[in-house]
Formats: sequence, structure tokens, C-alpha cells
Amino acid sequence: MTASETGPAGEAFWSHINDRDVDSAFALVGEDAKVTITPAGILGSKPDARKFFEQTIAAFPDIRFTVVKSFTTDDGVTVTEVSMEGTQSAEYLGVINQEKHCDVDQVWLLEGQAGRIGAITGYWCQNQLYRRLAVKRLDQVAIV
Amino acid sequence: MTLTSNEIGSRHAVTAAAAFFDAYRDRDVETMVGLCSDTAVFEYIPFEMWGRQRVMRGAGKVATIGKALWSGFIAAFPDLTNTVQRITADDAGNIAAQVVLAGTQAAPWGTIANQGQRFSEPHLFVMHTDDAGLLDSITAYWDCAGVSRQLGHLEVD
Repeated sequence: MTASETGPAGEAFWSHINDRDVDSAFALVGEDAKVTITPAGILGSKPDARKFFEQTIAAFPDIRFTVVKSFTTDDGVTVTEVSMEGTQSAEYLGVINQEKHCDVDQVWLLEGQAGRIGAITGYWCQNQLYRRLAVKRLDQVAIV
Repeated sequence: MTLTSNEIGSRHAVTAAAAFFDAYRDRDVETMVGLCSDTAVFEYIPFEMWGRQRVMRGAGKVATIGKALWSGFIAAFPDLTNTVQRITADDAGNIAAQVVLAGTQAAPWGTIANQGQRFSEPHLFVMHTDDAGLLDSITAYWDCAGVSRQLGHLEVD
């Protein structure tokens, strides 16, 4: 897949996620997509990524992914730096809800394959997320 | 084989990034800085130290903040190394580098006391090269919680 083919899919993915339309976002993702979201402990496939975004949207109903910078490389990887911002309203990744507002900068790689997104990789600092959600210790994430 | 101008541009960007990580693997901060433009922008997104009245962030210029952070990091982890998994770029000089940094702690690093532990953590560097082939922007993302756990530091500072 070339850069020109992948770029629009990458842009559309984030647009759908911001619309809380996980179905449309994941219609762009191949069934065999490889998923690596290390901060959330996810090394898996399309259903794992879908579940992650569903849980994220459920935990932060006002969530917004603001695209800071995006480009598509010559070999079809769309690199998107986003700022994730929202207010917690449910348990998230083991963290109980204290109704904290959080903003965390992330970068995502969406790799094109056979006309669809063939790999999803996400990077952010989980310490920053914990800090904003008032977690005190890494071994006691669920304890206030 | 004839390369298009786009391919040449992206290849130069990949070459510049690869040279940077070679120098980083050699723990050669002067060469790392020399591969960057004089006004190169530096931002280590996860780096933030919360004080009572202000938050200190790892953002500024390569020549000031970047050089100091790299030197301090290497001093705290004298065997610091990196494994480049993938470097990819576009014809406008934008670069994404997936790199695993690893090292053994030998001195305190920020709020993390030295327990002699080793870490290995995936990083993503978003970089950009100027027309002269110098890096003029370096932004890095990684999971500090992963690093802290490996070093035995469990407080969320």
C-alpha cells in the first residue's frame, strides 16, 4: 500500500473515533491486523484494539482525540500524534473513577495492508495517565 | 534503478535518523547533537517532574535541554544501548523511529533511586530533517510506568 492510499484511512479512523463510531473506525481495519498497545498491556489482534477503544470511550464519554500532527510515510505508515482529553466517568484500565479530567499526548501508527489498516501501534506514558487520574502507586492502581 | 525525488528525500531522512541512533548507541552525545540543527526542537513527552508550584517538562531545544537530558541519562545508565526496530519516513523529511532503549541503572535518575535494575522499553521517536539533512525536531514517546516498574520505583510521582 502506498502513502496516498493509507493516509485517508488513517485520517478517517480518527474522525470516526472522535464521533464515537467504533463500528465505522474498525470497518477500516483488516481482520488480521496486528495490534500493539504496550501501555495498556495489549499485544493482540483487531478485537483487542476494538475493545480498547470501546472501553476508552465508555470511560471518558466526552473524550476527544485532537490531532497535533499526522503524516504518512513512503511505505504506508500513518503516524498521528494526538492529545487524548476527557473526563473519567467509569473504571478505566484498572483505575477507579474519581471524575478526574485528563489529557495525555499519544502517538499512533496505522499501517496499511491490502487496502485496509493492517497494524495498529500506540505509544503513551501510562505514568502520565495515572498521575492525572490520581493514582499514587503502580502496584496499587485501584487504591485511592 | 533510478530513485524518484520523493524516495531520495525519505532515504536521506532515514539515513539521518539511523546515524543519530548509532551515535546514541555509542553514547556519543556530541555526535548526536552534531547531527541536529543549531535550533533543533526537542520534546520528551513523558518527561515531567511535578513540584509544588510548577511542572518541569522535557521540552526546549536539543542544544540545551536535549543535550543535558541525554548526558544525564547516559551517566545514570552507563551501558545504555538501543535497538532500532524500524525507521520510516516521507519525502517531506518526517520520520518515525521505533527503537527499544535498554540499560542498567548505576546512579539516581530523576526521582528514581538506584537499585541496580535493568530496563528495556519501546520508544517511538517522531523526527524531522531540514534541507541540509540535519535533524531539526525530535519528539519521543514511551511508557514511564514500564520503565519505573523495571527499575523498582512504584510511586507515581
